[in-house]
Amino acid sequence: MSDPSTKPNDNPFRSRRWHLFGVDSDRVIRTFFAGNALVAIIILVLITIFLFKEGWGFFPQNYQNLKLYRQTGVEFVDVLKRHEEDFSALNRFLNNIRTQEVQRHKDAGETLAEANERLKPFDLYLTAFEEGGYDITDLVNELKTTATELRSRYEIYLNQAQLRSNLEKAGRTKEAAAIELVPVDLVDEVKSIQDNLPRVISTLGALAAHVNQMQQTIPREADTAMTARLEKFRSLLIQYEASFPALQQTLRSWDPQKPVSAYHAVTSFIFGREWVTNSYIQDWYGILPLFTGSLLVALIALCFAVPFGVAAAVYVNQIAASAEAKLIKPYIEFISALPSVVVGFFGVAVFGEFVRYSSQAEWLSWVPFFPISERLNAFTAGCLLALMAIPTIFTLAEDALNNVPRSFKEASLALGANRLQTTIRIIIPSALSGIISAILLGFGRVIGETMVVLLCAGNRISIPDFTQGVGIVFQPVHTMTGIIAQEMGEVVREGLHYRALFLVGIVLFFISLLVNFLAQKIVRRYKLGSN
Amino acid sequence: MKSILASITLIGLAVTTLQAEKIVIKGSDTLGAKLVPQLAEQFRADNPGVSFEIAAEGSATGIAAVIDGTADIGMSSRNISKEEISKARLNGRDVYETCIGYDGIAVIVNENNPLSELSARQVERIFTGDVSDWSALRGNPGIISIYTRNTSSGTYSSFKELAMKKRDYASSSQKMAGNEQIAAEVAKNPLGIGYVGLAYAETPGVKVIKINGVLPSEDAIRALKYPYSRPLYLYTGSKAEGITAKFLDFSLSELGQKSVTKVHFIALDANSPKVSVPVKLIDEAKKSTEPLPAK
Repeated sequence: MSDPSTKPNDNPFRSRRWHLFGVDSDRVIRTFFAGNALVAIIILVLITIFLFKEGWGFFPQNYQNLKLYRQTGVEFVDVLKRHEEDFSALNRFLNNIRTQEVQRHKDAGETLAEANERLKPFDLYLTAFEEGGYDITDLVNELKTTATELRSRYEIYLNQAQLRSNLEKAGRTKEAAAIELVPVDLVDEVKSIQDNLPRVISTLGALAAHVNQMQQTIPREADTAMTARLEKFRSLLIQYEASFPALQQTLRSWDPQKPVSAYHAVTSFIFGREWVTNSYIQDWYGILPLFTGSLLVALIALCFAVPFGVAAAVYVNQIAASAEAKLIKPYIEFISALPSVVVGFFGVAVFGEFVRYSSQAEWLSWVPFFPISERLNAFTAGCLLALMAIPTIFTLAEDALNNVPRSFKEASLALGANRLQTTIRIIIPSALSGIISAILLGFGRVIGETMVVLLCAGNRISIPDFTQGVGIVFQPVHTMTGIIAQEMGEVVREGLHYRALFLVGIVLFFISLLVNFLAQKIVRRYKLGSN
Repeated sequence: MKSILASITLIGLAVTTLQAEKIVIKGSDTLGAKLVPQLAEQFRADNPGVSFEIAAEGSATGIAAVIDGTADIGMSSRNISKEEISKARLNGRDVYETCIGYDGIAVIVNENNPLSELSARQVERIFTGDVSDWSALRGNPGIISIYTRNTSSGTYSSFKELAMKKRDYASSSQKMAGNEQIAAEVAKNPLGIGYVGLAYAETPGVKVIKINGVLPSEDAIRALKYPYSRPLYLYTGSKAEGITAKFLDFSLSELGQKSVTKVHFIALDANSPKVSVPVKLIDEAKKSTEPLPAK
């Protein structure tokens, strides 16, 4: 470039130049745009740093939380509680047998009242079984109250002590002295829970005896299917009975002072199967139920969005007349202009109900998991998300098809291939990398979507039940994005729950980073050499 | 968890009068969410010089604040406990209690559900997931769909306290954003069960379940015969005077009681005593009915 100051008359823009604080206009304009870019980058970096700063603190806090869980004896109660839950599960199994019996009688044309009447002897057994578990339930409740009360007292003590030291540091000694500290000796007090061990052991002994007795008095039924189920129940009871000694051993050797491994604070998040908040007993932050929920919804969405999006792209790019393409293209792209809350509302008000209504149709009754009872489920949310992913996939796939050099098509046609062969054998494979990255970005769009899943996915925080086969798609789920939106309003700043939600945000951040990275990588790797 | 709702709402500031009067109210988020702010607003219409500071962080904080003297009025959705009364005495306070209404939670099922009554234990077992099939409760076979409020709701916690012995909800429960949503889902789902405030019990397609044989009628709730009902109290650390007394009187007045009904609580009926009464430890109640001299 020539220096404009030496040859002023050669530059046609010379007359328009102006100076600001001795800097010429080119510089000013350049600085303005560069500055804007810089601000955008800085803000993004700050957001990322903030996200990590808030989220990373989860681990030390969770470590403290788990330590308290052990030291206050809540863990001890939980061991017992899990055993009690196993008993409830047996009870449920027995009730399921009853359910199937009622169904059988109803199928034979009896009314509910008649079926209930017929099952009266069985119900006596069932009630007796259930009542045998009341003692352990009550004991668990009692110990739970003691343990959680101890923990809350200890937490209050810690908070007060913290407040006092803060005040002292700030030089407000008078206020600091006014704070009443009620010291809690954890080591000593947790013994009061352990002191219950003989009672626990004797209650467990009574329960074991009860289970044993019930196992021997399983009613004999005429129906073979039911007998088989009862035999299964018997084997479950025997299994349950066999678990008692190990449990007693665990309870006896349970030590509140045993150190908690720091590793556990991480694994309990990544592999945690429970997300329980606002609990009176113990909060758990395990991401698995949310992660699987998000994944399930996203996969359902892609199942619909990929065929529709890609096929529409191929049609518009290769087959449609230009007038048609001019209509279809903006139309599909217009879908992305629908606000997601509107789509979600449509899902709640119309689509969910439609799905359930059609599942009740007579001609669909052969489908094993029909009729469904939940209208808000992964399928409803997935279908609507598909609608939102189609424009993304369509547009990007269409671009990819557009980028296939014209010479490919011409060569193929010249060799005698017809248009369909050319499209399927030449054009699509050539554009495949672009199409795959389009799908990946569609996936990213779906997994980050919040409003639709919050409204339509059913918000049930548990890992989908894979034993149901394909029926799994009709189960309600909760998602990572949904949980952040739903619970962010109720968390204490910098509390454990708050940090857990940020950590979920970090996971989402990494997922979309990975998706975008892969999409770019695939496009670059398989980019056609020539153009 | 309730401290999360530690939203300190400063309703208005006295601008017109020179001498600003301020009422500090702390406590239950059941009361503090809607009812008391609404009462405060209406009260201010007639008494423009008064300002309010309302903090809703849970009943326990309200009573503690009254005991400590950091609040003029403590909101509570439960009775003050004996320990708290004795602690108040230690601090030289004579706590007065004003009941301004009642709250009840109705358990609803689909209208096609053959059951019309459940025991409290059965409700506990349903919502904690101990039973998962209607057949276990002598209903039509089918997996129970449980609808609960989301965790930020006060009802979410109160139902846990009132009906579930503070146990956790079943992991199969679905968390809904509001009463309307629960009622709508239950109305559509023949296998659904949920709980709502009384105002939503009339939703078409749902049926209110009797608990231990009692329907959540207004009278049963007022008499606290219905298991999932609770009184709504305002506590003061001494016999209310001045502007605080005026506010208490206002909340008991016809206009105030209208607000109680408007936010879906049960208003007091003609028989309810519409006064503040001093709370007593049981033995004292036997000895005399006269209020204790304030320290």
